[in-house]
Amino acid sequence: MIETDTMQLHKLVEEALPELDTMIGWAAGEDPLRTTPVFIRGAKSIPRLILSPFCAQNLTGYLVKPPALKPADKHKKIGICVKGCDSRSLVALIQEKFLTRDSLRIFGIPCRGTVDWRRVMRQVPLRLVRSARVEGNHLIVDDAGGTHKLNLENVLARKCLQCRYPNPVVCDVLVGEAAVSGVTPEDIYRNVDALEKRPLEERLAFWQSELDRCMRCYACRNACPLCVCQDRCIAETRDPKWLTQRMGIPEKFLFHFIHAMHLAGRCTECGECERVCPMEIPVTLMKEKLNKVVEEMLGYVAGLDPAPIPPLLTFNPEETGI
Amino acid sequence: MAGKIFIAIDRLTSTLDKLSAKIDLWVPAPLQTDKSEPTGFVPYHAGMVPILDRQSTLPPKKILLPQVETLLRFECRKDPQNPLKGSVSLDDKMEVRPALVFGARPCDVKAFLAIDRVFTSGPYVDPYYLERRQNTLFATLICRQADEACFCSSVGCGPADTEGSDFRVIPVDGGYLVDALTEKAQSLFDSPADTPTQDQEVQASQVVEEASNNRVGDLDLEGSAAAFRKRFEDNDYWQEMAAPCLSCAICTHVCPTCYCFTITDEIENLRGERLRSWDSCMFYQYTLEASGHNPRPSKLNRYRNRVGHKFSYMPEKYDGLIGCCGCGRCIRSCPVSMDIRQIVGRLKENAFESE
Repeated sequence: MIETDTMQLHKLVEEALPELDTMIGWAAGEDPLRTTPVFIRGAKSIPRLILSPFCAQNLTGYLVKPPALKPADKHKKIGICVKGCDSRSLVALIQEKFLTRDSLRIFGIPCRGTVDWRRVMRQVPLRLVRSARVEGNHLIVDDAGGTHKLNLENVLARKCLQCRYPNPVVCDVLVGEAAVSGVTPEDIYRNVDALEKRPLEERLAFWQSELDRCMRCYACRNACPLCVCQDRCIAETRDPKWLTQRMGIPEKFLFHFIHAMHLAGRCTECGECERVCPMEIPVTLMKEKLNKVVEEMLGYVAGLDPAPIPPLLTFNPEETGI
Repeated sequence: MAGKIFIAIDRLTSTLDKLSAKIDLWVPAPLQTDKSEPTGFVPYHAGMVPILDRQSTLPPKKILLPQVETLLRFECRKDPQNPLKGSVSLDDKMEVRPALVFGARPCDVKAFLAIDRVFTSGPYVDPYYLERRQNTLFATLICRQADEACFCSSVGCGPADTEGSDFRVIPVDGGYLVDALTEKAQSLFDSPADTPTQDQEVQASQVVEEASNNRVGDLDLEGSAAAFRKRFEDNDYWQEMAAPCLSCAICTHVCPTCYCFTITDEIENLRGERLRSWDSCMFYQYTLEASGHNPRPSKLNRYRNRVGHKFSYMPEKYDGLIGCCGCGRCIRSCPVSMDIRQIVGRLKENAFESE
């Protein structure tokens, strides 16, 4: 099915190519468990495009992060592949006027979960991976040590196990059959709920010990399509200066919690911040907590509808939720 | 006194316990005790089991080049009688204790030879780095775990390379044969220890020979430095190569040879500290000038800098020394699966065809 979807995508992109400046999708990466973003400008490269459960990256950041990809010819569009979560980033960016809907040709990819290669390596320390594929509820990997059959639940990204929107909420064309979300309402915030049940001291200790590992590389910020302060981030500005260069927990706390606060009611839980973190800090969890608060108080879920103004980007004196 | 000892697997911890009583000991281990990953070099404490079966997530770079260090402390005192008069006191004392890094891999250790050239070969010698360098010993593990991202043999290193090492640690059946390579190393072996058996010695030399013959990576760097210079202004090339880059700076943070730093004064009231901390050419603030001008304004320029620095500027300045140890960490950790080998490899393509 994956192969058919990839072939369908090739055909659709080929048809759309005359009206596209650039097509952003995924291509094979460093090993079969990974993909790399690819920027297609001619028909010759279309065969590089692939669809698989390893297409983890949210590509929407390339549309807004400097140097943002813009069509050289105003009459052309940027084509982009989006999974459910990625499409919500697009909606949020359109809402906030970073993008216009008609500048995009959106190829919607129904998603049955993306594989987190670190979780795979935790199950089996693989070496020289030859091939990897998903069959039913299993990931089958061939490496130097033979064939390994792993339970999908143990190797999918954490965000995928609580995903309510596996299908793109906005797209011009859907590639393949729509996916069905199997999550229950309890699943959606289950990680937040579990942490919230712990006493305050334990929660503080949890974040202290997690953030202690932070190297302040800011990969979480730079991978986030909605971190839009760009080169003016409080973590680094020298005037005004908010943070010292020290590697203390207070510095790391300030950066991470401001990062999270800036995303309150905006974060679409694409999980890029957590996926890229080289120190494996569950940084999306902070944003999930804030999203839960926003949903409970204001009945708002980010990135579903381009029409409304996100609640924290406006001021409504009649607000009843608070 | 023997130059070689055998440490049985079940006696590794007790041997390290003894060593750590003599010298500050660093070993590869999980960064957090309740998690198996990520790993890095941490101060040894009694009873610890180092992770020697795989490369650590983070290299030992910070042991000689801490992510942040105080260069000096300063305090300004005002004369209460005459507020216009004041004095500034400076304190740049540093304490460096002898240390041993146990279980680093040849790539990790070799990386310091590149940093040495920059920090200690003059004309300016960095006293902070030098002091730690001279007081730190390396017990290097012969590497048998090269994976698809490794390319140490392509950059003048190799899985059995012991340049820059004081000991080599050879994995053999049931334990490790530890071989002192320098005089300083010999002196740590003064207590009676297990001498290896004939069989173990034979096996160890087989392991070393096998590792020496293992060519890890097939990147051909002949002519790459010059090819980089020729391609410097080929914006199409760099645009294409850097396109997927998120400027996330993971590559420079996990790199054993990246040494760029920034210096900041952290001031509170009348006192403060001058800190040196890691910088990254992936950051917008890197080489940002006070005027607001940045000679490397975009990710294209900054990514090009990382490639050029390692594979062109350093080899041209330091007799062919490559500013990369081939550990593969930047490849493994890259969230968009960029591969520096491909980018360096393609420098030499005659006609680069943009899509």
